[in-house]
Amino acid sequence: MASLLKSAFNAIKEKGIRNVAREIKEAGFLNCLPDGNLLQIKIHNIGATLVGVDKFGNKYYQNMDNQYGRHRWVEYGDKKRYNASQVPPEWHGWLHHITDHTGDELLMLKPQRYGIEHKQNYTGEGDEYIYHSKGHSLNPGQRNWTRYQPWEPTKTDG
Amino acid sequence: MGLGLLALRASRTSLLGRSSSAISRPGFESGNPNFNLVRWIISTPELQKPEAATASEPAAPPPPPPRTPVGGARVHIEKPEDAIEVFVDGYPVKVPKGMTVLQACELAGVDIPRFCYHNRLSIAGNCRMCLVEVEKSPKPVASCAMPALPGMKIKTDTPIAKKAREGVMEFLLMNHPLDCPICDQGGECDLQDQSMAFGSDRGRFTEMKRSVVDKNLGPLVKTVMTRCIQCTRCVRFATEVAGVEDLGMLGRGSGEEIGTYVEKLMSSELSGNVIDICPVGALTSKPFAFKARNWELKGTESIDVTDAVGSNIRIDSRGPEVMRITPRLNEDINEEWISDKTRFCYDGLKRQRLNDPMIRGPDGRFKSVSWRDALAVVAEAAHQVTPEEIVGIAGKLSDAESMMVLKDLLNKMGSNNVWCEGNGMNPQADLRSGYLMNSSISGLEKADVFLLVGTQPRVEAPMVNARICKTIRATKAKVGYIGPPAEFNYDHQHLGSGPQTLQEIAEGRHPFCSALLSAKNPAIIVGAGLFERKDKDAIFSTIESIAKQAKAVRSDWNGLNVLLLNAAQAAALDLGLVPESENALETAKFVYLMGADDVDLEKLPSDAFVVYQGHHGDKGVYRSNVILPSSAFSEKEGTYENTEGCTQQTLPAVPTVGDARDDWKILRALSEVSGLRLNYTTLGGVRTRISTVAPNLVHMDEREPASFSATLAKPETQQKMSKEDFGVAVENFYMTDAITRASKIMAQCSASLLKK
Repeated sequence: MASLLKSAFNAIKEKGIRNVAREIKEAGFLNCLPDGNLLQIKIHNIGATLVGVDKFGNKYYQNMDNQYGRHRWVEYGDKKRYNASQVPPEWHGWLHHITDHTGDELLMLKPQRYGIEHKQNYTGEGDEYIYHSKGHSLNPGQRNWTRYQPWEPTKTDG
Repeated sequence: MGLGLLALRASRTSLLGRSSSAISRPGFESGNPNFNLVRWIISTPELQKPEAATASEPAAPPPPPPRTPVGGARVHIEKPEDAIEVFVDGYPVKVPKGMTVLQACELAGVDIPRFCYHNRLSIAGNCRMCLVEVEKSPKPVASCAMPALPGMKIKTDTPIAKKAREGVMEFLLMNHPLDCPICDQGGECDLQDQSMAFGSDRGRFTEMKRSVVDKNLGPLVKTVMTRCIQCTRCVRFATEVAGVEDLGMLGRGSGEEIGTYVEKLMSSELSGNVIDICPVGALTSKPFAFKARNWELKGTESIDVTDAVGSNIRIDSRGPEVMRITPRLNEDINEEWISDKTRFCYDGLKRQRLNDPMIRGPDGRFKSVSWRDALAVVAEAAHQVTPEEIVGIAGKLSDAESMMVLKDLLNKMGSNNVWCEGNGMNPQADLRSGYLMNSSISGLEKADVFLLVGTQPRVEAPMVNARICKTIRATKAKVGYIGPPAEFNYDHQHLGSGPQTLQEIAEGRHPFCSALLSAKNPAIIVGAGLFERKDKDAIFSTIESIAKQAKAVRSDWNGLNVLLLNAAQAAALDLGLVPESENALETAKFVYLMGADDVDLEKLPSDAFVVYQGHHGDKGVYRSNVILPSSAFSEKEGTYENTEGCTQQTLPAVPTVGDARDDWKILRALSEVSGLRLNYTTLGGVRTRISTVAPNLVHMDEREPASFSATLAKPETQQKMSKEDFGVAVENFYMTDAITRASKIMAQCSASLLKK
């Protein structure tokens, strides 16, 4: 505890109280107050090794002292609305103990030409994310179902 | 074909097998020995030793119950002494002399698998799929080429026959690509069906398959020649029915391939039919390629309106789209062929369509309006002119109902200037024999001399031409032709090009007279292109005198024929769509064009109000003031009378486009808006009205021959024939009406096939 306070004191001395406060906020410590889940993860993180960070800001931790099967976890980059679909596929295998290769290693295998960017599941995130079938009028790429070509009155002579 | 039979047999055998083992009914056990056991598609041990299998069969089985003939096949035996009796699978059947074993089997209700045999083509006997066993014959015989002999015992279901089919199928599939999933014939392929029914369940072929270079047969027929099984149906069709010797067989053995000997396109107007007769996917439709599968399509039995023959067609549609058109069997009209124009005009139904009522504004631009406004404008314009200035012209594709309503409406307005384009300004509508094909299309087969006057049947009515071609092949009938130089696909004499030749024949000075006078059934075919000539009456009276000399009109034979050009012509004349005055168009102030595109609108006064009611934005719309969109023949129920006087109807296959309505409904609505209410509201009502004018038009699928002959009691004409040569009625076979002119495929055809 004393070392923690000491390091905090040192940090304030180095960066100034404002910067430290901003860092605390960005790391999501303030969100810990209403969100016990996040607080629990933060407590878990103490003493764990940070295995990697993906491009969404998700941090992947591992602590081999934990019970097997509970030794890998993620702290989501998005501190407010996080869900499991925010984990990109390259980290999914590591996180779920499918493989011991970390996401950074698996990212090398990603096909350059046709591999598309990971996107979280936007269900319930707003109207613009609702799926509309190809014939639906709200689908911006709505298909044209007209199977004939109408005559265009172009000539104007009478 | 084979699948249904197989399913039937399979269900029968499994039923028998089960009942004899479990319930053990004695009646079933004493059945035909061929049905006793559950039979396998693949080789069974008894197949290896057929002799042993036959030996183990119980002796003298009673015959199985009679089966119904395949496809309703029936035969008429004229002389009873000509009938012979054969036994098919133990069941006796009487067939006339000269029938083949395959036909006898069909009569007995046994469907023999076949590829090369086609009952309208000559017998080739080269696919060997139709092998059956005949008692006392050392080898299986090809049933399509073997005449049935009295007392022949034919066995179609024995291990030997099955083994023979299996072997033939294995050889056929050896060099056939396994590309059914990407083949357009998939689902309607004879080879696919029959390999399911008669083939082995495994192949023993491990070498490389052969491949053949695809041929270019033009914009209509797509070739994948590797799929070809060399049945030569297309070769025989081209030579025998289409009358062009374009296709042939090259090479021998595994190098054998179908092709045009030198690189050329198939120059027949019936070339699309090779798509239908090809039993595999070697010849498929190019415009239909990869568009749909045949099981997705809804078939609607309709008739064709692109010429006056009224070929029976099936319109295959998927959703709101016509996907293809295929022929339907009608022995009296088109047999089972249709012309390329009929088959491939369908993409014109999807282009250049009028889908909204439009009014031409004061700035000369068309503006879409509602039906209410459009009809109100038309009704007002009609009220502002005197009745004599109202003119109605029905188009080439009009059905009888709409022409009836058009005539009724204009008569109610006080005008009697209604006619159908193509009939000329002075049509002869009093005697039906004066505008019909009196000897009927199938009756042309009885003729032994043809005299074609001003008509080129090859472009005007390809199905009639095919019939003439068939007659000439069968009986070596002579053909004389008077008219401009034209292409024929049979031997003919070009007698002359104008009325002078006609005059020479009438006076007996022409060398062709001897052939005409000595003929038993002479057929004179007059083209409807002559209707437009000024000296039409004189020409017709000359032709009638020729017919009288040649005894072409008798009680048992009427050989004086008129070959019409358009689908609407016959019905229009039946309904009396005859203009009152010859120069009605020059003085017209209100013109109602019902799909009429080929009327010379230059003659119209510039202040005339033109209403165009039709389905395509074709020539007629550019002069019009109001456009009323109507439905095309694939979208409505309409009655059409063909050139021989046979009444047939189209049925709606697809919904109408946009806001279009049926022709007769538009006219009926207009009558209401203009305050001249017509007293029928349904199609049935219109047909009742038609039945009071022309009762033959409500008897569907019946041919009503003309009751009086044309030579009877006609006023003498004072006209003199002019020296002017006969013209060409159809300039471009592929583009004759609004639908075909809108079609892209037809445009490609006329670009590549009409190149001189």
